[in-house]
Amino acid sequence: MFNLTELENDALIEIFNIGVGQAAASMSAIVHEAVHMSVPSISFIPRAEAARLLGARDAAEPERICGISQHYQGAFETEAILMFPEDKSLEIVRLMVGESVPLKELTEMEQEAMCEIGNIILNSCVGTLANIFQHELEGSLPQYHLGTSDEILTATGSGADTVVLMLHIDFLLEKHQIHGYVAFVLDITALHDLKDQINLYIARAMGQA
Amino acid sequence: MAAMHTLPAGDRLHLLHSVLCAVNIGAVVLDGDRRIVLWNAWMIKHSGLNNDKVIGADFFATCPGLRGGRVDAAIQQALYNNFPSVLSQSLNKSPFALHANALAVARNERIQQAVEVTPIAVEGAPRHCLIQITDVSIAVAREKLLREQTMVLRSQTFSDGLTGIANRRHFDVAMEKEHRRAKRGGTPLSLLMIDIDHFKAYNDHYGHQKGDQCLIQVAAALAGMLKRPCDLMARYGGEEFAMILPETDVEQATLMAETIRARAHELAIPHERSGTDLRQVTVSIGIATQKVETPVDLEALIGAADRALYQAKRAGRNRIAALLP
Repeated sequence: MFNLTELENDALIEIFNIGVGQAAASMSAIVHEAVHMSVPSISFIPRAEAARLLGARDAAEPERICGISQHYQGAFETEAILMFPEDKSLEIVRLMVGESVPLKELTEMEQEAMCEIGNIILNSCVGTLANIFQHELEGSLPQYHLGTSDEILTATGSGADTVVLMLHIDFLLEKHQIHGYVAFVLDITALHDLKDQINLYIARAMGQA
Repeated sequence: MAAMHTLPAGDRLHLLHSVLCAVNIGAVVLDGDRRIVLWNAWMIKHSGLNNDKVIGADFFATCPGLRGGRVDAAIQQALYNNFPSVLSQSLNKSPFALHANALAVARNERIQQAVEVTPIAVEGAPRHCLIQITDVSIAVAREKLLREQTMVLRSQTFSDGLTGIANRRHFDVAMEKEHRRAKRGGTPLSLLMIDIDHFKAYNDHYGHQKGDQCLIQVAAALAGMLKRPCDLMARYGGEEFAMILPETDVEQATLMAETIRARAHELAIPHERSGTDLRQVTVSIGIATQKVETPVDLEALIGAADRALYQAKRAGRNRIAALLP
């Protein structure tokens, strides 16, 4: 399995924490309330395992996941997907929108709000990566998905042999703590491009020190 | 229609411009210095700003209200980071000053908007960005209706099917809320338990249909006596009712209970098997009050009201009794 050294791993976690920190600031500005986000850990796992990780609380019925995806390309190419269990996505949107009459599923307007939340988080994460790697990436508009994690990974076009860089995200708003994931689906080329970029970044950081 | 590639370049540009102007969404293009280079017909119609006013103008001079906000951030994302952004109506209430018509302008009702800001690569010039604005007013209105109807449905599940007053579930929720509020706010809270005397005998004698009518009549009369919005009367079970009286001390609650007992008496519903000479429907009432200085838990308060009701029954019915929790 693909692995990063401890140094590379720490550098990447640091980069993503800068990213979600910016996203949290943008979201705070929207709701005029404190929003906190952090990335406590990351891991590289095969796509099949990623589907399982996000999958079932009980194996009989795979959990429904709400996903927001964007495609990015440039210095490396990836499909980035923000994923929350469906009930958590309801919670986030309603906390953000401040809706007092919750319905069973996200309405069209709430799905759009979820897209905006995903867009803010994904652009911030990838934007920070791009800045630190000193490369420009281009991104697509966000898409909304609802289904099992396997369905969402398939819908976003990730092949069975791809690797997923999984970010655990902690989201804190109004005393509600919500756990979610950002998945970066990478093929082998992209994976090595990413590793090269991290090492360039580390080398620059060391050189300056 | 002729294929695009057969058109001379100038005509092609003209056609593209016409198409952008004809589309039924708002389209604005900004150059790298955030000057307006395109402002389509939809934007002219809904903003009231003509091309001669806006083309070449600084975007934030034209839309000063958007500076520093989410639209500003999205434009920066597009121009400097090459990333597209979406701004939903739910999280950004109608950022652009756009109106459906003159009446909407007069009423100051903006079009409900979904906004997308995307980077546009331009050959030989710094990156531009396209702002697209879609009118989502219809969807917003539809969801408002959906929520309103859900509220109606939900309130129905909170009312008793027979009497139309609050049901037990509503009582439980309201009681918990008021109990918490009383503790936090340092106010007294009173609870009345009201029971129709000899109701089983009434049912046996007159039949269940008459029994139901009796319940409906008593419930309506007693519930009609509550004047404050925070007071709640609920059907607690069978022929038993509960009344939550926030910010009400023992004296006020006793006064209220006595008025209620008298009101039930006034209804003068005949009851041949009342077991007394009165031969009409009466109620017994138990009162419990949580004092400010001695808050108790919810169960203790309800338990005290129940015991007070039992005491009133044992003392001969058609009367009230109060107990401290």
